[in-house]
Amino acid sequence: MKSSYYGKILHINLSNNKIWYDILGEEEIKLYLGGRGIGAKLLWDMTDNRTDPLSKENVLIFSTGVLTGTNVPSSGRTTINFKSPLTGRYFKCSVGGGWGLRAKMVGVDHLVIHGKAKKPVYIYISVDKVEIRNASFLLRKSVKETNRILKEKIEDNSIDVACIGPAGESKVKYASIMFSIYNTAARGGSGTVMASKNLKAIVVNPNHGKVYVNDPENFYKYVKSSLEDTYNDSHSPVMYKYGTSPDNVSMFDEGLVASYNFRRQTIENSYNFTGKCQIDEGYLKRRVGCGSCIIGCHRFTVVPSGSFKGTYSEGPELETYLALGARLGITDENYLMKLNEMANDFGFDSISLGSTIAWAMESYEKGLITKKDTNGLEIKWGNGDAVIELIKMIASREGIGDLLAEGTKKASEVIGNNSEEWAVQANGLEQSGVETRAMLSYALAFALNPRGPDHLTTECLAELGKSFSPEAEKIIEKITGDKKYAVPYMTEKRADIVTWHENIYAVSDALGICAFLTTASYGIDEEKCAKLFTYATGIKISSDEIMESGRRIVTLERCYNNREGCTRENDVLPKRLMNEIAEGRVKYQPIKPVNSKEILDKMLDDYYELNGWDKKTGYPEKGTLEKLKLFFCADKIYPR
Amino acid sequence: MLGSKSRSFTGCNSCMLTCSFTHEGYFSFSKSRMQIEKDEERAVSIPRVCIQCKDAPCIQVCSEEALFKDKGTGAIMVDKDKCTGCKKCVKACPYGGIVFDEESSIPLICDLCGGKPSCIEVCRFPQAIKFKVKKENDEK
Repeated sequence: MKSSYYGKILHINLSNNKIWYDILGEEEIKLYLGGRGIGAKLLWDMTDNRTDPLSKENVLIFSTGVLTGTNVPSSGRTTINFKSPLTGRYFKCSVGGGWGLRAKMVGVDHLVIHGKAKKPVYIYISVDKVEIRNASFLLRKSVKETNRILKEKIEDNSIDVACIGPAGESKVKYASIMFSIYNTAARGGSGTVMASKNLKAIVVNPNHGKVYVNDPENFYKYVKSSLEDTYNDSHSPVMYKYGTSPDNVSMFDEGLVASYNFRRQTIENSYNFTGKCQIDEGYLKRRVGCGSCIIGCHRFTVVPSGSFKGTYSEGPELETYLALGARLGITDENYLMKLNEMANDFGFDSISLGSTIAWAMESYEKGLITKKDTNGLEIKWGNGDAVIELIKMIASREGIGDLLAEGTKKASEVIGNNSEEWAVQANGLEQSGVETRAMLSYALAFALNPRGPDHLTTECLAELGKSFSPEAEKIIEKITGDKKYAVPYMTEKRADIVTWHENIYAVSDALGICAFLTTASYGIDEEKCAKLFTYATGIKISSDEIMESGRRIVTLERCYNNREGCTRENDVLPKRLMNEIAEGRVKYQPIKPVNSKEILDKMLDDYYELNGWDKKTGYPEKGTLEKLKLFFCADKIYPR
Repeated sequence: MLGSKSRSFTGCNSCMLTCSFTHEGYFSFSKSRMQIEKDEERAVSIPRVCIQCKDAPCIQVCSEEALFKDKGTGAIMVDKDKCTGCKKCVKACPYGGIVFDEESSIPLICDLCGGKPSCIEVCRFPQAIKFKVKKENDEK
């Protein structure tokens, strides 16, 4: 039977160079769909609470989406699953670019990397070859250099490269895997796990590869309606034109961003952080689209003049602007471009990198870190030159860079002296740039996120209602029955809003669709997901069933962390965001300005009740696991 | 003809996927009538596709008379029964606009989808590809 997804798993054991395939049955595909869903199940099966994330026992799983390789808008995504060396918990990254598309063309639904190579290697995959090759010539090469060298060596420009940079090779705990030079599976130390396996790069060559769908005629009908709805959404053209950074300064001035290590909610010179600035000041050279993305929100920027003239990279994306700019008090656009380029080229997660440096700056201000520790660097707010040097030190673990390479949680534990109070992390992950004191769905979603506090398993922009887009308000009406809930400062209905977003996000990741199309541009809904899945695979599924599969994925990820020992006590936000009021009152600061334990507890109770989770332990109840066909989880998390 | 603006390509490959799908019923870069050469590091994309040029050296060079211009659209069409797969047309094209399909041993040339190119539909924001109707004089 023709299908865009066969549940084919390519296993590569780097310890003994063994290569083999597995194939999944239809029942398992219907339960977990593919992509992130199957990735999560494989991770559950292959690791447990005794697995050291940087040992050869951990696995690194690359999963293309069910629809990846087709022309469904923005369907070119790949999920990477692993146990995180930064958090010690479940982790998934979702990444765009062209790698997934090309991997699917050569028949990779899932790729599981086991073991550890004796010497640095890279993997080459084409229609007729899977090879483990020597990578000694790539050691300490940057992401740009690695891409350049591999293309020259392989003499084929159509290949796509996923690789780690020097940060990964130094086992920085928040090293990323970069896909070409534009896209990143950034968070949680994906690159650190790849480095621990002595794996520098994975190259895919799509030539002569094919991707089929089960029912081309009906499939194309839903591709066309997805195209139309995406084009007609009011936010899509804004994303094409300005990228992930906004077209104007309102969000920066109204308190939706965190600056100065989350002490403030606004930033000076906010124009420099906008997509409009990139265009009007001559930085933007081209807009860049991931595989099969009709929007193209990525940017290719070049610094046109000044001391950083010629600096070029992808972005900066909004999160990088916030992490390496606002959070450090750096607002000069040339420095923003330079720091972004360094993060991408060294292979860092820019969010954790910026947060860790922000913590260090505050510790420096308070005298806990001194010039002696920093090799003479004055790491004061806004000192871009010092940050450039500090990033180099972290990438090579030199001096204090060795401590900062461990991430904010570990660094604050070592320095002590109450510095945990301004370590803006929870469960080991540094919070992304969303000001959760201003948006309560985000606050709840961040506390529940199996990764830790960030927006990349639950994007709740809809709660901003019509101030975001008319379609956003309609989504809230669809979820809650009333558009009055489309405001970010209410606790009511946040559980419903978060649950729907978690489910659709899990479905998007499983299908390989960019979550921007389901949770920001609203071009693809659960009905279209179900139809596209059905016509692509020949496995019939309804919109209710596909959303239930989404819930199954979310619940399985929850159980993974429960198996690691996590309970309701872990459903928290960083201390600063629970207990401190941001300086300077602004529009979006809620009436009760802090996500107090009381507010968060109320929302968590609502959420647990809605989803059948035990309010005391935070475990999914046995009946819930039974209903979702996750009974095998109960054996592991409930004592017999 | 298909006009293209190299600067506006985002590198998403939607056009190539859609081209392959509408002609072959599946997705494959090798089956796309349009090929895009990319310099990823500089985000430069150079499209290669038939522009239905006036002289059509591909038609002239074909000793089997397997290539001809469609009267309605002006697109170069391939008579698969006559084509021997000699690749002379591929070499003759000064624009690199002909793809040779090793699997079926015939050249793949943009047929303008009968006058409604499917690739345009997936390029509405960047408008890197546009469909231009050639004037009568251009054809002669």
